[in-house]
Amino acid sequence: MQPRAFLQTLTWPLIALLSHPGALAIAGAPGFQLQQLAPGVFVHIGQQLALDAPGHDDIANIGFVLGTHCVAVIDTGGSVRVGRALRAAIRQRSRVPICYVINTHVHVDHVLGNAAFVQERPKFVGHAALAAALARSRDFFVQQYAEDLDQPPDTAQIIGPDIAVGQTLVLDLGDRRLSLRAWPVAHTDCDLTVFDERSGTLWTGDLLFRDRLPAVDGSASGWLSVLDELERLQVTRAIPGHGPVASDLPMALQPERRYLRALIDGVRDELARGGSMQQAIVQVAAAEQPHWLLWDSTHARNVAHVYEQMEWQ
Amino acid sequence: MHAHLISRLISRPQPQARASVLACLLLGFCGVASAVGDGQTPSSGAWEYLQRQFYPDRTLGVLDERFMSLEAPANTPDPAATPLTLHFGDAAVGHIKQIRVIIDNNPSPVAATFDVASGARVAEIGLRVRIDRFTSVRAIAETTDGRVEMRSAWVNASGGCSAPPSALSAGTLGEIRFRPSPDARSMLVSIRHPNNSGFQIDPRSGEPIASHYVSHLRFSSDGRTLLEANTGISLSENPTLRIASDQPLPAPISLDVVDSTDAHFNASWSGALAGNSASSSASGAGGTR
Repeated sequence: MQPRAFLQTLTWPLIALLSHPGALAIAGAPGFQLQQLAPGVFVHIGQQLALDAPGHDDIANIGFVLGTHCVAVIDTGGSVRVGRALRAAIRQRSRVPICYVINTHVHVDHVLGNAAFVQERPKFVGHAALAAALARSRDFFVQQYAEDLDQPPDTAQIIGPDIAVGQTLVLDLGDRRLSLRAWPVAHTDCDLTVFDERSGTLWTGDLLFRDRLPAVDGSASGWLSVLDELERLQVTRAIPGHGPVASDLPMALQPERRYLRALIDGVRDELARGGSMQQAIVQVAAAEQPHWLLWDSTHARNVAHVYEQMEWQ
Repeated sequence: MHAHLISRLISRPQPQARASVLACLLLGFCGVASAVGDGQTPSSGAWEYLQRQFYPDRTLGVLDERFMSLEAPANTPDPAATPLTLHFGDAAVGHIKQIRVIIDNNPSPVAATFDVASGARVAEIGLRVRIDRFTSVRAIAETTDGRVEMRSAWVNASGGCSAPPSALSAGTLGEIRFRPSPDARSMLVSIRHPNNSGFQIDPRSGEPIASHYVSHLRFSSDGRTLLEANTGISLSENPTLRIASDQPLPAPISLDVVDSTDAHFNASWSGALAGNSASSSASGAGGTR
């Protein structure tokens, strides 16, 4: 509690600085920064913090797209508090109904804010595998992220999808269409992308990490295949799950591709010579470390995950 | 009892989530660890009981790392598959008779008991284990001249015993793979087996999954036993064992595996170094299921 309060006091002068008339930033709620990337496309850029750091509930990029009849929210942040800040920011801009809350995948930093939107009565939208993934995670989220939910915390606050996307789905927001696409197992088993046709903006969810080390919770090789397909998409800009907005998607995908390739090749080599998981954790893709934030908290887990999978390939 | 166990169930944590939980709680335990002055991690009721049972009236040597060391990650990459490695130095190789691996706070603390055949030159044993909650992990070695030595490590992890089966638990039960190192001094052995702990819940049905685990392993060469192990529910899904020596391993090596349903599996390594040279088969009362 105390560190978080301290951080908030620190950020106040920063907000005042950023809120001068020329800045893109809009104060939707105290401490909540929003950028308009194109007409009707708003994003809040999360901080590159570990999941145990103060401010850990605000690490993902979240936002919304505004149509003439509907607003669609894309990810809701890692706490009900962050979700509420996003809702307040939307309501400061528009009275149009929030018809859809889309979750790009199951991870806690993208879904815990869902509960803040229930009173707007949206349809919650996710990958066809999201419901099952949330069912596996609900108890864990409530136990480990109790402070990020409303008190008392309970599993009913972890809101699952009403609309399951098996392959693709188009949502009409009024004079603008969102194309949703469900992907095979990659970052997780329930990755979904959202493309705003009018502005050419692709929300990649965590299929794209920038600067922050990608976390492999699905399949590293599956993820590489998905990157091949993402690279072929014609987009004006891409909003990654973490890190800065990209104007050149193929170029923005390269560091992640290089890391995943190094991870797979390194684990394969280690297994081929009968190396242990511990050796693999130390040696595999070690040259990648200088290129990424939050290496220590994620890389060992990635190697272990890929090692366990490749053991039986 | 049952309700208590259910209440402790934690679904397989998300990757970032694990790190955070562990790191948050780590600080609380640093004080405890630093209060222990003899180089060992905190004791526990389970360990005190097991010490009386297995090593009554024995002095546990405080080892020098060059004789024997235990490598365990303080923050495990996966609570359900935490890698542990025991290293034996020159003075120890060829002089170790038995090794117990004990995870104090697991529901079944004795993870494995290895019996090393006389003359077998084991320099390293690696395995992967489930960690149920923050715990001391111990390796206790009895030497051929009757000494008992212990190393311990503190591991921050929780939920490893109740983590639901992964997609990787499918496949052919009892399939065995051998991965020798290029110099033939070490061998990574992987056994396809769910190794259900009895504390897992099927995420689809909500029903408890009965324990079903590898209970015995025997490595032999030309009919002569090299190493045997009694194992339990603390081994991770798809158990692995990595054995290293200070000399090239003998060949061929046969591995016989028995599980808790008395199913038997076996495979042998011809001595070939390139590729996957395993041949495995299954037999016995339990069949392959």
